[in-house]
This record gives sequence, C-alpha cells and structure tokens, in this order.
Amino acid sequence: MPLEILVTMVVCGVVAIAIILHMSGRSAVVPLTEDSATRAWLRHSPDSAVQSARPAATGHAALITTEKGMGIVWCFGADTIARPLDTAKIEPHPKGLCLRFADFSTPSVTVILSSQERAVWKDAITAAPSPTVRSQKTG
Amino acid sequence: MSDTLNYPDVTQWAVPFFIAAILAEFLWIAIKGRGGRYETRDAVTSLIMGAGSVASGLALGVIAWGFFMILWQITPLDLGTSVWVILLCFVLDDLRYYWVHRLGHRVRWVWASHVNHHSSQHYNLTTALRQTWTGTFSFIMIVRAPLILLGFHPAMVLFVGGINLVYQFWIHTEAIGKMPRWFEAVMNTPSHHRVHHGRNPRYLDCNYAGVFIIWDRLFGTFVPEQAHDRPDYGLVHNIGTFNPIRVAFHEWVSIFKDMTQPGLSLKQRFLYAVAPPGYSHDGSRDDSATIRAKHLKRHPEDQGTAGFDRR
Repeated sequence: MPLEILVTMVVCGVVAIAIILHMSGRSAVVPLTEDSATRAWLRHSPDSAVQSARPAATGHAALITTEKGMGIVWCFGADTIARPLDTAKIEPHPKGLCLRFADFSTPSVTVILSSQERAVWKDAITAAPSPTVRSQKTG
Repeated sequence: MSDTLNYPDVTQWAVPFFIAAILAEFLWIAIKGRGGRYETRDAVTSLIMGAGSVASGLALGVIAWGFFMILWQITPLDLGTSVWVILLCFVLDDLRYYWVHRLGHRVRWVWASHVNHHSSQHYNLTTALRQTWTGTFSFIMIVRAPLILLGFHPAMVLFVGGINLVYQFWIHTEAIGKMPRWFEAVMNTPSHHRVHHGRNPRYLDCNYAGVFIIWDRLFGTFVPEQAHDRPDYGLVHNIGTFNPIRVAFHEWVSIFKDMTQPGLSLKQRFLYAVAPPGYSHDGSRDDSATIRAKHLKRHPEDQGTAGFDRR
C-alpha cells in the first residue's frame, strides 16, 4: 500500500475515533467515593488493610490510610491508578497539590483541592510515619 | 534457491478493516449497553502505539530482514512455495509465536517490549493495536531462525506471521462471549485471550497462544475463563500515563535503573534484565508466583482451581 495512503488513512481514522468517543461522553471521569476509592486501592494493593479513604471534593482523587502508611488513588480516564506516598515528593500547585513519583511510567499527579483541603492533605501526608516523604515549601 | 519472493503486507492492508471494526464494536457497545468499555484517551493512546509500531517496523524492519536473508543464504534447504508449504509454515510459525509470547512474559528483556500491549485497563479492539515500538531491540527475531533454516523463505515466514497477527485482532473484545465448544477447544478466542490480559492472580502468565490454543493445552499454560472471576485488565502495577513515549519505553527505563543500582553483583544486575518480571535481588517485589501464593493465603478456597493448579 502506498505510504501516503496508509498515513492518511491512519491519521483520519485516529482523529475520527477520538472525536466520536469524546462527543459520545467517553472522556468523562467517574468521581471516587469512599467505597470506590477503597476498592480501587485494594485492587492495587490487595494485602493492605485500608483504615480510611478520604476523597477530595472533586472526587478525582482520594487519600488512603493503611497500616503500612499513606497512599493515593486517582481517576485515570475511566479507571484508577494507585500509588503509595512513602517516597513521593509533595509540591504546591495553583490548583492544589502536585505529587511526584520516581517512576517514569507515572511521573506525577496533580490533585485539585480547595485551600482548606490542601492544608489537610499536606498535613496528613507529612505527618504519616514515613521518613522519606519530602515536602517543598511554597516559593 | 528462490531469492526474491513477494507476499502482500497483510497488516497494512487490514488497516481499513481495523478502523471499521473498531467503529462497529463501539456502536455495538453504545447501543447494547454491554460488551466492553471505551475511553477516549485510552483508545487514542492505543491507536498511536499501533501507528508507531508500524512506523517502527518500516524503519527498523531492514535489520530483521537482513538477518533472515543471511540465514536463507546459509541453509541448504528450500521447501518451495506450494499451498501445503504455506499451511505448514503457518502452523509452525504459530508454534514459534507461542514460545515468543511465553518468553515475552517470562524474560524481562522481552517483556520490556511486550508490556505496553498489556498496559491498557480496557479490553477492546483498540487494545489489539496497542503494540510495541521496540520489538527489534528485544532480539526475539532469533526465534524465527529455525523456520528459515528449515527451508521456509523469509518472505513466507513474515507473510504467515502477518496473518497470525491479523487473526489476533478480533479476539481483543468483550463483545463476544464464548465461541462454539469445538472452536474454543482448538482456536484462540476472545474468551481465552481475555484471560491472558487479566491481571487477576489466577490469570497471570497463561494462554500465550496466537491462533491455536492447542499449544497452551500441550505445554500446561492453559487457564479457562471463569464466570465468577471476570478478568481485570491491565498490569499488576498499572501505569498512570497516556503519553505514548512513556508507554513505549517505561519498562526499558526501569530495567536500566534496576541494573545500575549501586551495590549489586554482576549476576544480580544480569537477572534484573532477564529474570521474570517481578524479580528483585532483595525479595522486595512480587513475581507472578508470589502473587498467586499471596492470593491463596487470603483465599485458600481457590487452591486447586483453574489457574492455581499449574504444573
């Protein structure tokens, strides 16, 4: 098949599929509840015992407390991603907090929080019994 | 000996069919309200990975082709191009595919190329196209060598390999439940391949088939889909990125980081590259065996059931 036909077909196909999916509501995020955040965390870490799951007001992320420390679950497309926070770097962000992981496949997540939520989350994460959580002060 | 042989590039010619089938599957799901899920960024990432895989093949395919043609010059055998030879080549190439795929899950160096195909938490026809950009660097082309040395022309080997891949497109769907029993017994099907993509402990590292599921039955790696344990798709540790560059290279980066840690022996560094995914020099990570063991500790009632009864 001539390359120009193949490239045209592929580009047009990808764009058309993206538009159809977006216009049909397939870009919507399903907000987390306490229950769904707990289940999402246990999907990632079935051996841990969840002590609390605290969704943000937006429902896009939830702070998880387990017997091993703190973790976070966040909405990722129509699914979720979960990560422990023991080695995460916390940085302030205009919309809330930015959590950075030393992980090329999951470099960071920006959590949208109100100013009150931001303070609560930051205190909870830095107070957790783990020596490697580092917090950068606001510039 | 026949040096020039031309077969159509079936994967390229199948592109219009792929696009039409994806739209049809999406329409089915939208109308019926079941049979799978679609999400915009996940699907677009999968499609970009597919396009990149084709581009990578066009750019780097000359390396594998050169290797195969050297083997073709070496071998004294030439089985010709009859229909029966093509059929035999197809079956033997599918056996080759089984072992390549098994190595792809059990040798981290090969897994680094294959992992991105499993990195979607969805299972639909776009997932079928979420393919590697780095296959050339896995050196897995070596497994095709016996076929060429046996007298199958490289062009024929690649042609039947293309048909094998096109066959596997349609099995990446939740819209089809089970095929007729006789079909499920012999062929790879959506049901068998859903199991392969499952990150459930019972479903890890099984059903490696390309076209014929008989190889899994023969080599003890077959696990049937369980109605009470629906496949949960994705990786044991799902990746949190839609960036195709990160999707394509993340496991290679991880291998590099692990191998270059301070304080390791040469053997430990080597094992980080070639041991099964989940290997760690200090036992801090889980591989598929320990994941299954931990699951059985939590759920002893699953002992001896499908996926937990492997030899």
